Amino acid sequence: MDHDTLVAFSKSWGLFYLIAFAIGVCVYAFWPSNRKMFDDAKKNILDRDDTPWQ
Amino acid sequence: MPELFHRKIERTAIGFVLAIIAAASVGGLVEIAPLFTIHETVEEAPDMRLYTPLELAGRNIYEREGCYACHSQMIRTLRDDVERYGPYSLAVESKYDHPMLWGSKRTGPDLARIGGKYSDLWHVTHLMNPRDVVPESNMPSYRFLARTPLETADFGMQLAAMREVGVPYTDDMIANAARDALGQATPDSDFSAGVVERYGEKTQVSAFDGVATELTEMDALVAYLQVLGRLTDAAYKQTAASEKAPGSQQ
Amino acid sequence: MITELTSSERQYAAVILVVMAMVGVAMAALGRSDPFGVHGVIVLVYSVGLLFLVLSSFYAPEPRTDRQASYYDDPIKVGIALSMAWAVFGMFMGVWIAAQLAWPTLAFDAAWSTFGRLRPTHTTGVIFGFGGNALIATSFHVVQRTSRARLAGQISPWFVLLGFNLFCILAVTGYVMGVTQSKEYAEAEWYADLWLVVVWVTYFILYLRTLARRKEPHIYVANWYYMAFIVVVAILHIVNNLAVPVSIGHAKSYTIWAGVQDAMVQWWYGHNAVAFFLTSGFLGMMYYYLPKRAGRPIFSYRLSILSFWGITFFYMWAGSHHLHYTALPHWVQNLGMTFSVMLLVPSWASAGNALLTLNGAWHKVRDDATLRFMMVAAVFYGLSTFEGSFLAIRPVNSLSHYTDWTIGHVHAGALGWVAFITFGSLYTLVPALWKRDAMHSAALVEVHFWLALAGTLIYVFAMWNSGIIQGLMWRTYTEDGTLAYSFVDSLIAMYPYYIARAFGGLLFLLGALVACYNIWMTARATPLIAGSQLDLPDRRPATGTAPSPAE
Repeated sequence: MDHDTLVAFSKSWGLFYLIAFAIGVCVYAFWPSNRKMFDDAKKNILDRDDTPWQ
Repeated sequence: MPELFHRKIERTAIGFVLAIIAAASVGGLVEIAPLFTIHETVEEAPDMRLYTPLELAGRNIYEREGCYACHSQMIRTLRDDVERYGPYSLAVESKYDHPMLWGSKRTGPDLARIGGKYSDLWHVTHLMNPRDVVPESNMPSYRFLARTPLETADFGMQLAAMREVGVPYTDDMIANAARDALGQATPDSDFSAGVVERYGEKTQVSAFDGVATELTEMDALVAYLQVLGRLTDAAYKQTAASEKAPGSQQ
Repeated sequence: MITELTSSERQYAAVILVVMAMVGVAMAALGRSDPFGVHGVIVLVYSVGLLFLVLSSFYAPEPRTDRQASYYDDPIKVGIALSMAWAVFGMFMGVWIAAQLAWPTLAFDAAWSTFGRLRPTHTTGVIFGFGGNALIATSFHVVQRTSRARLAGQISPWFVLLGFNLFCILAVTGYVMGVTQSKEYAEAEWYADLWLVVVWVTYFILYLRTLARRKEPHIYVANWYYMAFIVVVAILHIVNNLAVPVSIGHAKSYTIWAGVQDAMVQWWYGHNAVAFFLTSGFLGMMYYYLPKRAGRPIFSYRLSILSFWGITFFYMWAGSHHLHYTALPHWVQNLGMTFSVMLLVPSWASAGNALLTLNGAWHKVRDDATLRFMMVAAVFYGLSTFEGSFLAIRPVNSLSHYTDWTIGHVHAGALGWVAFITFGSLYTLVPALWKRDAMHSAALVEVHFWLALAGTLIYVFAMWNSGIIQGLMWRTYTEDGTLAYSFVDSLIAMYPYYIARAFGGLLFLLGALVACYNIWMTARATPLIAGSQLDLPDRRPATGTAPSPAE
């Protein structure tokens, strides 16, 4: 494998990887059924936390 | 489907860790992997010689004392860099540098081409107390180098370790490492001819610290400073023009 | 502390320490007069010292049997103390070497006290000693509280904490003896690096197992940042530190990377040490302690997810902006620049998220210096990430690179962001951990805040000025087309700023000393909260209870 092939591969597939990854993250973050889980998570840390749950 | 997938990531911390690795590793791979084939694209320097044992010892002292924290060894392709310090640095010039000492800060000037610009005596005086030659300097004094004898016993091992990581030292060089160090700093001694024979005509043999009878760390560091930028002439043969610094005033 | 361990755990700890002591003896024997041998003695003394501590309570009564019903806070307390000790050490060294740049004779006529050897003691002391211990301590706290589960180990938290400190001690004592790989922020030699791998893998497993025990269905986002910090730092550390030692008895090694590859690997490491050590982990702190202290949930949880993946993905590409106009191939420089600019988006998302969380609680920010620490941290995070993206643009970098501007930028991040969020988090954590109502003295927190802020601003403004002046002087031409200033001219222009910088650093150090006193008095002097909750476990998933801020 020579230098130019590697560079070309890096440049093109690096970009596709980035786009695919970004879409995946957005889908996850905005998936409707995840909303409740996120809301719970952000509120739950404010609860009392002096002992572990059994 | 995506929901199921994400639930799974969510539920298993390990899946999450794998996702982090997947996200984080690609950037490094894309930028670093092609550099392993870089020898196909960079300039060649058939005349390039290796660091002598004394110069390598000097280089190790340069690292040990943290000189790289204030001095770069990388002349950028900018016009003002080139006019101040000399032809811009080429990748090939640091191909034997484990590690590279390009530096990140110029509290003092760049040293990539310092070799040969000043006399040995100037370097020794300067290292003993920089303010004796540059009154405004804020560089520390390195008097202790002149009173610390150079340990040469393990030089063979040092060269062998360098060979392990890819620097082409020969068995002959490794076997004679300690003698070559002594010979390079002791002109007219029995050992001087050997070091020139092994490392090339351009090897500088000199009583670097001015005292030929004893080998000190000062000898080694000055020998290293004097070879900086002089392992190859490749940079002087480059014809490409340097870039003008954006916004520079003229 | 040791009485909290069962007798079999005490035996286990003793065995580990005996093995470590034997490794120390072996190192001393192999290294002889080489610094490697000295480090063997240090390992031996450290292990034997801890062994005595374990043996002193070896036959103490067994601990309560219901340990699982409480959180494991002892290692966190020790971690906070170690973090503050390293803060004072690291910042003192910083002030000293800053003063050396202004007054170069402020050194002894001995190798160990020169700028070049002391500089890494400062960087390692503050980044790994202060920052690292704070990260380990707070991560142990956050993972337990957000998972509602006790740490998944009795010995391993101590192993991680004390093992990490042994690494820091080996690193710092090595520098003054001249042991260094000369890779910035990865100066420690091969054996210390190997030891850190052992410690870090233990840390990773401990964290993962604790998360696996969690009672909450969802892993809270702060843990994501801590996890990324642990995982990516491991990758970076291993790749950058691959080296061949001269021999098994030599401290010295040669890195396997050469020249341009080494430069790329080093700054891939160097920049991502900033990203995953100094940003990701501290964002973890911010996402937990800021909402906690403000008594308000984070503004947007989704935004925190998006910025998490953005940071994790983008940062790894950005390292090559440290090598603009060098012998590194042009396309790698451009890639680094592009991603550095894109990084601004997730960075500002985090900073904005923090500030919007405070929106509606500004009266608390006004009255509470602890919350103000965190607010200023978020502002500095926003500022220095903007500055970072800006400096990564090639033409800007042609001016700023190699100058004090870089130093100013780093300290805007390190003082303004990292140290401020750490102090804010510690002031939130300390009273909670020692079951106090509040810190010993709110006035001293206020004093610390203003000392730290004044110190940071003086430092950063001095370095911005000196850096830009330096950069401009280097590239100024006369009408004849020759360079207008010699290098020494530019150095002379720096002296006033170097004095100002040392003064700013001194103020910051004084603030840290005030914090030490305050934390000490909180742990020692204030009476316990009446009717501590400790013995009355609340086993009910308390979803309906009102948010209760830390005090």
